[in-house]
Amino acid sequence: MGLSQKISQLREFLEETLKILYYYRSRVVFSFSGVALGILSICVIVTTIDGANKKAYEIFEALGPDSIMIFSGSERQRTARERVNTLTVSDADLLQRIGGIYDVLKVFQVRGVNMKYRDRKWQTQVVGGTENYFTSFKWALQSGSYFSREAYDNAEAECVIGAKVSEELFKGENAIGKVIQIGQLPTKVAGVLEERGGSVGGPNMDDRVIMPLTTVMSRLSNEKRFLSMIRLKTNRDVDATIEDVKMVLRNNHGIPEGSEDNFMTRSSKDILQFVSVISGSLFLFLGTASIVALVVSGFVLANLFYLTIQERKKDIGIRRAYGATRKGILLSFLFESVFITILGGIAGVLLSIALEGTFEKLFDIPMEFSFKVVIFALVFSFLTGVLSGLKPALKASRIEPIEAIRG
Amino acid sequence: MITLKNIRKSYFVGERELPILKGIDLEIKHGEFVILMGVSGSGKTTLMNIIGLLDKQTEGQFYFMDTSVEGLDDEALAGFRNRHIGFVFQQFFLLPYLNAIENVLIPMVYSEKEIKHPRDKARHLLDRFGLLERIYNRPSQLSGGEQQRVAIARALINDPDLILADEPTGALDSKTGNEIMELFRMLNEDGKTVMVVTHDPKLASYGRRLIRIEDGTISEDITT
Repeated sequence: MGLSQKISQLREFLEETLKILYYYRSRVVFSFSGVALGILSICVIVTTIDGANKKAYEIFEALGPDSIMIFSGSERQRTARERVNTLTVSDADLLQRIGGIYDVLKVFQVRGVNMKYRDRKWQTQVVGGTENYFTSFKWALQSGSYFSREAYDNAEAECVIGAKVSEELFKGENAIGKVIQIGQLPTKVAGVLEERGGSVGGPNMDDRVIMPLTTVMSRLSNEKRFLSMIRLKTNRDVDATIEDVKMVLRNNHGIPEGSEDNFMTRSSKDILQFVSVISGSLFLFLGTASIVALVVSGFVLANLFYLTIQERKKDIGIRRAYGATRKGILLSFLFESVFITILGGIAGVLLSIALEGTFEKLFDIPMEFSFKVVIFALVFSFLTGVLSGLKPALKASRIEPIEAIRG
Repeated sequence: MITLKNIRKSYFVGERELPILKGIDLEIKHGEFVILMGVSGSGKTTLMNIIGLLDKQTEGQFYFMDTSVEGLDDEALAGFRNRHIGFVFQQFFLLPYLNAIENVLIPMVYSEKEIKHPRDKARHLLDRFGLLERIYNRPSQLSGGEQQRVAIARALINDPDLILADEPTGALDSKTGNEIMELFRMLNEDGKTVMVVTHDPKLASYGRRLIRIEDGTISEDITT
């Protein structure tokens, strides 16, 4: 048999399949939408988890795998506003002596500070940091410079502002050298930081003003002892260092044996762990939902298919009389079912691409689209088609031509 | 072309044996036009199903194109039907979702024989049966006579050796029925072997050979 014959047979077969699907379109629409929704949710899970992981690694990279953060307040005081500052400048000095620690960043944070440039007003947090703040966070400048050593030593009113603050107060104007009022203090803008974007579910990193720790403590809030956060970098094992840190701090704070810490330690590992917990629960929740959607649509497909077999008995009988084999009938029915689910799968993928932006806004989690997702979706829809089409197709293939034709 | 030797067919209802065909000996040669006549329950449809390779005899030998069909599997039988037999049924059995020309092309989808330009051939057949205007119509848009002519075109698309028609006029008025029978006569004159199964004595005159079947045996076999 020639190739052209095969091709024209295949064309006839495909055309017939399309006509059959059109003829039984109500069945097709139900099954198709079920599969599309199931695949859509699978796509959303996979892309969000990938996106969250990517984001987590970005943060991990930005913080550096060797850094440890220590926050004031116990684990029970969950929100930042609840926390009382318990860390002190002397803590920081003591910690510096632990072996392996090569960088200590002291931070004192003041929330909800009013600031003003001409008639524009904004309210945000002021972060007082030591000079190593910017190198420690690997945070580059958009323009201008970091605050100077003299400004730090002399507690001068100089600041570096985040991209968001620059946008709010200067609306695209050049901010360098301008004086803004922070609280009651007229402060010179030395630099504008590069945009960093929101963190996973957290506050906008760009909405902050950074000033010398000295200035914030003495001129903005009159605080001499306490700090909000200390950040360390170590060239030893992070977990071992954390143990040392805890010991030193408990000692210095006079916390008795058995009482809980009045500070929290966080390393980059914790962030990765946190993200993996989040993506795990996301996977469970959405995964269950999408499997249910797929199973339900598979059942709908199988049932509607099963019902139409009766209706198509004569169709099958005639095809068998004219030379269709059992296997041929089986395959053509399976093909029909797989065709529907693959179409549904493709629709699901397209839908998830179209909804990507909306989801990102809704959950504030970037979605990472990849080829993997498409393969994943197509394999799942193929399996749904085969599994739900198998029983009806077997039934169809077992119909004897004479019983079908007898009427 | 077809040889049946002592063909018997029984159905079993529980323990009881219900004999339908009780020893049929029959030979049909190329180019014959056979009317197989019998009342309902005489076994004529069962005999046609066996000849059409849709059913198997319980006993006896059956040679189709000098080949014993005994022991052929489903695939081989399907291939045999596809190559050698064109079926025509009382209820036409056109597929509702296909138009006339697509219905004619169904056997082609399962064919292993090379057919050059199948669509042209299908169009040509429909044209010959006066249906050129109707080739893109669905079965529901066709009259009974038109549907049966589409079905006959479908039976012819693979150039079969035998046309098997089961009560082809049963669902038609007598004028249309006569037209259909004339069509079979024309095909026979072109060299096709035709076998029409019917209970209607008025159709007897169309054939050149009349086989009457009564209670599972051949009671009369007249060649005119």
